Amino acid sequence: MFSRNHRPLEDGSCSALEMEFKRGRFRLSLFSDPPEDTELQRKLDHEIRMREGACKLLAACSQREQTLEATKSLLVCNSRILSYMGELQRRKEAQVLGKTGRRPSGGGLLAERSPCRGRVCISELRIPLMWKDTEYFKNKGDLHRWAVFLLLQLGEDIQDTEMILVDRTLTDISFQNHLLFTEAGPDFKLRLELYGACLEEEGALAGAPKRLATKLSSSLGRSSGRRVRASLESAGGSASSPVLLPTPAVSGPRYHLLAHTTLTLAAVQDGFRTHDLTLASHEEHPAWLPLYGSVCCRLVAQPLCMTQPTASGSLRVQQAGERQDWARVHGVLKGTNLFCYRQPEDTDTGKEPLFTIAINKDTRVQAGELDQTTGRPFTLSISNQYGEDKVTHTLQTESRGDLQSWMEALWQLFFDMSQWKQCCDEIMKIETPAPRKPPQALAKQRSLYHEMAIEPLDDIAAVTDILAQREGVRLETTPPWLAMFADQPALPRPCSPASVAPARTHPLPWGRPRTFSLDAVPPDHPSEAPRLVAPLPPHRSPRSRSLCRKGSPRTWLQSPV
Amino acid sequence: AVLGCQIGVEMSYIPGQPVTAVVQRVEIHKLRPGENLILGFSIGGGIDQDPSQNPFSEDKTDKGIYVTRVSEGGPAEIAGLQIGDKIMQVNGWDVTMVTHDQARNRLTKRSEEEVRLLVTRQSLQKAVQQSMLS
Repeated sequence: MFSRNHRPLEDGSCSALEMEFKRGRFRLSLFSDPPEDTELQRKLDHEIRMREGACKLLAACSQREQTLEATKSLLVCNSRILSYMGELQRRKEAQVLGKTGRRPSGGGLLAERSPCRGRVCISELRIPLMWKDTEYFKNKGDLHRWAVFLLLQLGEDIQDTEMILVDRTLTDISFQNHLLFTEAGPDFKLRLELYGACLEEEGALAGAPKRLATKLSSSLGRSSGRRVRASLESAGGSASSPVLLPTPAVSGPRYHLLAHTTLTLAAVQDGFRTHDLTLASHEEHPAWLPLYGSVCCRLVAQPLCMTQPTASGSLRVQQAGERQDWARVHGVLKGTNLFCYRQPEDTDTGKEPLFTIAINKDTRVQAGELDQTTGRPFTLSISNQYGEDKVTHTLQTESRGDLQSWMEALWQLFFDMSQWKQCCDEIMKIETPAPRKPPQALAKQRSLYHEMAIEPLDDIAAVTDILAQREGVRLETTPPWLAMFADQPALPRPCSPASVAPARTHPLPWGRPRTFSLDAVPPDHPSEAPRLVAPLPPHRSPRSRSLCRKGSPRTWLQSPV
Repeated sequence: AVLGCQIGVEMSYIPGQPVTAVVQRVEIHKLRPGENLILGFSIGGGIDQDPSQNPFSEDKTDKGIYVTRVSEGGPAEIAGLQIGDKIMQVNGWDVTMVTHDQARNRLTKRSEEEVRLLVTRQSLQKAVQQSMLS
């Protein structure tokens, strides 16, 4: 079973969909389907079949791991089905609206220009956890475990990560998945949802043989026994009507939405970054997991204009310098460069181009209608400013049509560059995922806790120093918390930094100051205000772990004494 | 309290090369608010830090420990410590070739109520040079 309490669609619309299923009406289309719709329909049918399979598997499996995986597959299938159905609905509506009259496409080349698509890849996902001390020290014996996974949605494309079992020995949840979304626009919204299911003792009982389980449940106290018996009865119930979207017959672990966030183009960077998570559950919730409130990941985007040639053709280029003759080249516009090859075949053979003209957002392009040299019409000039010098290349095309095509391609490139912004500065690498290593081999994760050396002295300064060192903080002006050491006698309690630091813009849960990427080297931003560091509660210090200081010093730390 | 000038030979910040530095002895009595003994200043530097970011040092490869801030009215200010001072010794222990944490630990020993520092500053050096010339 799954519970998605953030979506407005609940049981009402689901039952309507059930009826649609039963009547088989969803396959009928009143208009002739364009090819994209048939593709979508095919995907929808595929998901429905997967869902039926997942329901059957769920009813059949007895092991807890299998149940978790099957429940997860079911949840993913359901999400995809809902998403595809929504998309089909939207397209049918658009079709209906379109047939009643399209907007007149305005004149001019710049009207209704749409940016090129791109590929978006998210990888190295990591969600830090923040266990309370009670979990570590007082909670001997039973190990609370959770099964978590991430669901990512971009447009109608939904992908999921592997499922990971989490208990209090983990400091972070690390997903080793590389998720690639093709067909993303620069205005993409990548929604990230973290689902978790708590693995309680009832799960263990559900796996036990029925007679033993009944005996155990009857020997428990009245209320807990009643609970256990109810869960067992529902587990034994028949798998009725797998077509129903929420399947009450299927028991076992329930996945709850724990946190979500949405990433956009602004979050794209060729590096590891931290983003805030919106937590969807609170402590009373059954599946609550102590999340730190951030998610770290590497989100890169490759617009198609950077990786594929957008225009090519024959050109004559005026040689720079004293000689005014024109050379015939084969020009290929790709990414931020116009490559000029000697022969058209050179692009395939991998030969170096004769020369390359850079095209970036500072380049000026002009169709040379004005200063035409006689007998040389249809020219365009491309100018770049290199420091003090301005370098201009003059290109001649074969005909007016060719000139217009080249100008159009260049304008489209400029538009794409303005839309995709930082993705067009340099091509960001999208790595194809390496063969999956077994999870045990990845135990040595880079994590905040492994890199802290905390002396047996109750030294809050040591902890904050280590954190500051990791972030490369330059404390040129006095951070507010230093005042506590100079003026106030008591050691800071975890909640007091919120009161000492008044100049903060975002109110965070539990009064925590904002922390940034815990493992990455932060970019050089000398103009930004000094950052606060998250002080940890003082009684965490007895947990001294191995020291691991690496790399050349990039910081010049300051400490109060 | 300032106990007078003293010229001493110290280990230099160029490894292997002794250097003469004009040092001043500064004796700080720790303030004891609550359970912590407070000196009332901040340090920067160390052999594990990036010396080019030190705003106080003349030689930007100097990885010594420098005073980056002195609390107003605190024990360090009263004892005569100044911002920009380079700390050479703490209670007899050398701190010219130590990591940042080692220096801080030397300064914050709980058992010690007084901390005797040997510090040097450029104004001192210049003053002695001028007096030697004249």
